[in-house]
Amino acid sequence: MQLALVGVSHKTAPVEIRERLAFNSEALRLALKSLTGRQDVSEAMILSTCNRVEVVAESPDDRLIREFLCEFHEIPHDVVSKHLYSFRNVDAIRHVFRVAASLDSMMIGEPQILGQIKEAFRIAADAGTVGMHLSALMNRAFAVAKKVRSETGISQFAVSIGYAAVELARKIFGDLSGKTVMIIGASKMGELAAKHLKRNGVSSVLVTNRTFERAVELAQVFEGAAVPFEHFVDHIDRADIVISSTGAPHFIITKMLAEQIIHRRKNRPMFLIDIAVPRDIDPAVNEIDNAFLYDIDDLQQVIDANLKERMKEASKAEEIIDSEVQAFCVKMQSREVVPTIVQLRDSLEKLRRDEIERNRRHLKDLSPEQQAAVDHITKSMVNKILHTPIETLKQMAHDPTGADLVEVVRRIFNIKPLQ
Amino acid sequence: MHVVLLRLALGLYSVGFAHSVLTALHKKQKLFRPALVCVSVGFLLHILSIIYRAMEVHYLPLTQQYEAFSFFGALAALGVLIAYAKYRIASLSVFAFPLIFIMTFIANLFYDPSASIPPLLRSNWIYIHTPLVFLGYAALFIAFAAAIMYLIQEHALKSKHPVRFYNWLPSLEICDDLAYRSLAIGFPLITLGIITGALWAQAAVGGFWATDAKVLFSFLTWLVYLLLIFYRLTGWRGRKAAYLSIVGFIGVLVTFLGANYFGGLHTFQ
Repeated sequence: MQLALVGVSHKTAPVEIRERLAFNSEALRLALKSLTGRQDVSEAMILSTCNRVEVVAESPDDRLIREFLCEFHEIPHDVVSKHLYSFRNVDAIRHVFRVAASLDSMMIGEPQILGQIKEAFRIAADAGTVGMHLSALMNRAFAVAKKVRSETGISQFAVSIGYAAVELARKIFGDLSGKTVMIIGASKMGELAAKHLKRNGVSSVLVTNRTFERAVELAQVFEGAAVPFEHFVDHIDRADIVISSTGAPHFIITKMLAEQIIHRRKNRPMFLIDIAVPRDIDPAVNEIDNAFLYDIDDLQQVIDANLKERMKEASKAEEIIDSEVQAFCVKMQSREVVPTIVQLRDSLEKLRRDEIERNRRHLKDLSPEQQAAVDHITKSMVNKILHTPIETLKQMAHDPTGADLVEVVRRIFNIKPLQ
Repeated sequence: MHVVLLRLALGLYSVGFAHSVLTALHKKQKLFRPALVCVSVGFLLHILSIIYRAMEVHYLPLTQQYEAFSFFGALAALGVLIAYAKYRIASLSVFAFPLIFIMTFIANLFYDPSASIPPLLRSNWIYIHTPLVFLGYAALFIAFAAAIMYLIQEHALKSKHPVRFYNWLPSLEICDDLAYRSLAIGFPLITLGIITGALWAQAAVGGFWATDAKVLFSFLTWLVYLLLIFYRLTGWRGRKAAYLSIVGFIGVLVTFLGANYFGGLHTFQ
């Protein structure tokens, strides 16, 4: 196994570079074919997302892939070279595992990347450009990602305003089905938060806005009902969750009003999200029993705490990946060591026989005992020569750092790789 | 035999106890599955132990301190297992498993093979009065644990500082619902328990039951829960109800554990 990985990501390149190196699905198939058609590239797959473009290949040389990327996209090498990173063998394996486990993502722990890698793998498999090595690597990477996900809390904590709202609503209400959300003011962020809530089970949506038409429009998006702004107070007690984001210069929900609302709700809990600046809801509302008020800073604080939790979980994930990389290397090597030893023995044995055959003429005068002695001497010479290389190979089978040894042995004894 | 079974149950409950300690230390419930299995098996052995004891004394095994603690431990385990089956709240176990363990541990401590059944308790009333009271206590214990969980979760949400318990606690609505339902089961049970107790006292000693310390305390506790039921019906929820539920359960504990030291009919001999 000789892995080479070349890529760019949001960490190494600005979007202007990333977009020039990206592949659409059509280009992807073409590129895979063209890459595996080259000398010294036997398997390849390409991951192309908005945050990263990566080529993983079974190839002894990563420079080949760098050249290929530039040629395919017709970009001069010096423009992209400082943004490209390359990894080989163990480092490439580690990188693949980390990316799949979402440790290298912009938002650590985000779950989409695993799906994107699976898709990239499927495309490469369909194009027939993955073989034994990449299959083994990617299947292991999927398993590692799953393990990281289930054994660490890396993707458990909400890190966007919308998800933070859902997470908090769940802590108050548990199941969100049967709950009603009211959107006051039609802002982009309010709409987004409502969308998240709706997707996570909230059953009905009420919308109110100073311009009624806009409220009607938004209500249609959510299959909800529009309420005239002048009357929103009459309807607000139906809402378990309120998202407020008007441009009003003063509080539109005062403490007194909130007390009345909670009273009308017979103390059923209410979750108020104030994402307006200046704020729409008097912060003192949070002091009322069964009312839970979060403004934009409070939500940000929850997100920051969650990000910190994710970071903590990420270090646990790195440990898992370390041991998985080791285990995978050992497995791959022991898979290659045995055939290498067999091939090595076979090729030297063939060499010995050929030599004896070639010199048959000079040996024909020897007595059968002497001929047997020649056979014996040459055999034992071959065995003595092979003794150290074979012993070393056997030891290396259990040492993940010895990745290249099999390769070195293959090269110096000129043994063709297994297919 | 019943002692051996009780000790085996105690051993299994200790896994539940360890689970609670680990969860409090590490924020995560890693041991929950094994702990749940151990406590369930422990509970079965515990029930067997009580049945063996009943067969041995040919009577309801609730006349001695050891038996009372053992019985209460078993009922608390039953309550937690039912609540888990209904709500799938693993976090309840963090509060309940230690109580089950401690009750069973005390039961083991107090075991006295020479004790005999006091003549006063030789009455069929014991089959009605005591189980009612104990079942009521078990339900009120669940209400108490739910109230504590509610307060922790509510504090985290109000203060906007996600504290360490934040992520494994059930939602406020589930805590409140659990507290209310347990109260709705526990209150009628202790009410009936008090009524049957009064009738028993009437029959046995002719009405001087009000001077007994345990009777007084349980009546006060009952008043607290009556108040809570009343407020619940007028629309109280959440925090205030949780506070009152905790006060009520402190009353239960004083009644159950403390009354022995004040003397009276319910003193164990």
